[in-house]
Amino acid sequence: MAEIRLENISYVYSEGTPFEISALDDINVTIKNGSVTGIIGHTGSGKSTLVQMLNGLVKPARGKVMLDGKDIWENPKEIGKIRFRVGLVMQYPEYQLFEETIRADIAFGPKNMGLDSKEIEERVLEAADFVGLDRDLLEKSPFDLSGGQKRRAAIAGIIAMRPEVLVLDEPAAGLDPSGREMIMQSIMNYKKRTGATVVIVSHSMEDMARYCDYLIVLADGKLLMTGKKDEVFGRADELTAVGLDVPQITTMMNLLAGMGIPVNTAVYTIDDALNQIYKLL
Amino acid sequence: MKNISLGQYYPGNSVIHRMDPRMKLILSLLYIVCSFLCRNIISFGLLFVSAIVLILLSRIPMSLIMRSIRPILFILAFTVVINIFWTSGETLLFEWKFIHIYLEGVMNAVFMVLRIFVLIVGASLFLTYTTTPIALTDAIEQLFAPLKRIKVPVHEFAMMMTIALRFIPTLIDETDKIMSAQKARGADFTSGSLINRAKALIPILIPLFVSSFRRADELATAMECRCYHGGEGRTRMSILHYRALDFIAILIMITFGVSLVLLNMLGIGYTM
Repeated sequence: MAEIRLENISYVYSEGTPFEISALDDINVTIKNGSVTGIIGHTGSGKSTLVQMLNGLVKPARGKVMLDGKDIWENPKEIGKIRFRVGLVMQYPEYQLFEETIRADIAFGPKNMGLDSKEIEERVLEAADFVGLDRDLLEKSPFDLSGGQKRRAAIAGIIAMRPEVLVLDEPAAGLDPSGREMIMQSIMNYKKRTGATVVIVSHSMEDMARYCDYLIVLADGKLLMTGKKDEVFGRADELTAVGLDVPQITTMMNLLAGMGIPVNTAVYTIDDALNQIYKLL
Repeated sequence: MKNISLGQYYPGNSVIHRMDPRMKLILSLLYIVCSFLCRNIISFGLLFVSAIVLILLSRIPMSLIMRSIRPILFILAFTVVINIFWTSGETLLFEWKFIHIYLEGVMNAVFMVLRIFVLIVGASLFLTYTTTPIALTDAIEQLFAPLKRIKVPVHEFAMMMTIALRFIPTLIDETDKIMSAQKARGADFTSGSLINRAKALIPILIPLFVSSFRRADELATAMECRCYHGGEGRTRMSILHYRALDFIAILIMITFGVSLVLLNMLGIGYTM
């Protein structure tokens, strides 16, 4: 539904003071319509700044953010509308829950969009379904929920705005494996049913390999590489050089290939790896 | 939010930076007393010179000092107006209808402005600019230590101050994050009526309160894990020592105060 193109994006913290830090430096990248794009990079590489630019929370010092070919900063007063089209789930979003009930909290976004109460109700239920929150949880206080449930409620708060682009900054950080799984499934669910573009920031190469089509790799505020998942993970040496990694199973396949065993190294899940190995037997 | 300047410590290694924080606390109090000792033009002149000397000694850029003056400019202007128009004296300078301006009024206005200026400069030079907040709470704790005899929990108060100061940047950060998160959901903090804007703060304040309590709880647990039990029998890692510099400084300050009193007696010009 929507394509985002970043043109020559730069961002500098505390510009003009001795504490000047360049957070992003001349980034050019396109997030394709309907794709799942992953952003990877080590801590402090500018990932969070970049995703906050996608919905206009941070204004680039130089360069343009184009949403469907239109500069989002063309009319700064209308930036609020961009935020409904590009939904951003920040890190640890459960800390922003504030209403008395989960229902009211999920309704906060749609209410700000000025929708009528029937539409809001409908969207709240729909969003709750997407993230797999039971209906009876909707009447509970955010403080009565578990960590994973709170996280999903917070994501539902963004999904309820039905954004064309759903951006998530480390959506699964700090959750147990089943919690991670549920979060990622909710996101994929939303993507599948609405065709939205999804952008995910994550440190888990396994998740990235599993869910993403395209990857953007940042290192020290610069665009290190971008392209299809295979292309990026195919350059394992460059990734490890900047402190990143490929999925463990891919590392193993690379080692096998290095030993002269004829395996395809573009393998990211254990099942695929198994198939490859079975073929050899 | 990032540009809120709290705790304006300016790193440096000047004479004033090197003084013992306890002494600086005492000196700033004495300096404030000194500014109230001044009565005539000569003693005020000396006071002004002393403020300039202090600024030079501390090597704090003038622009920074001016920034600390800016918030009180209104108070200064107000003082000037009140003093000029409402002081009656003997030497009439200007008269128009109901407005009478006397020399005494003008002098009073100048003196008051000088006094407030020196007050702010003195306190900020000795305390906020050259002393880290942590050193300052340390100094307060030790200066008030005798109050422990009458069961005042001095250490606990100092610890609370230290913790509060420590968490100001964290809270600013947190506020920033929560504001961004709510903005991402379409919250608008900048337009609408006053009531609407106040209401728009609820989505920030509630998460902020919740996280502050959570943080406080975590900190308390962390402190207990390290066997913190309050001030009783607690030794310090850095022990403050008065040095020659500190004694010289306080001698100079006392001499300064005495000379101000003596200069007042000269009786030159208008005496406040």
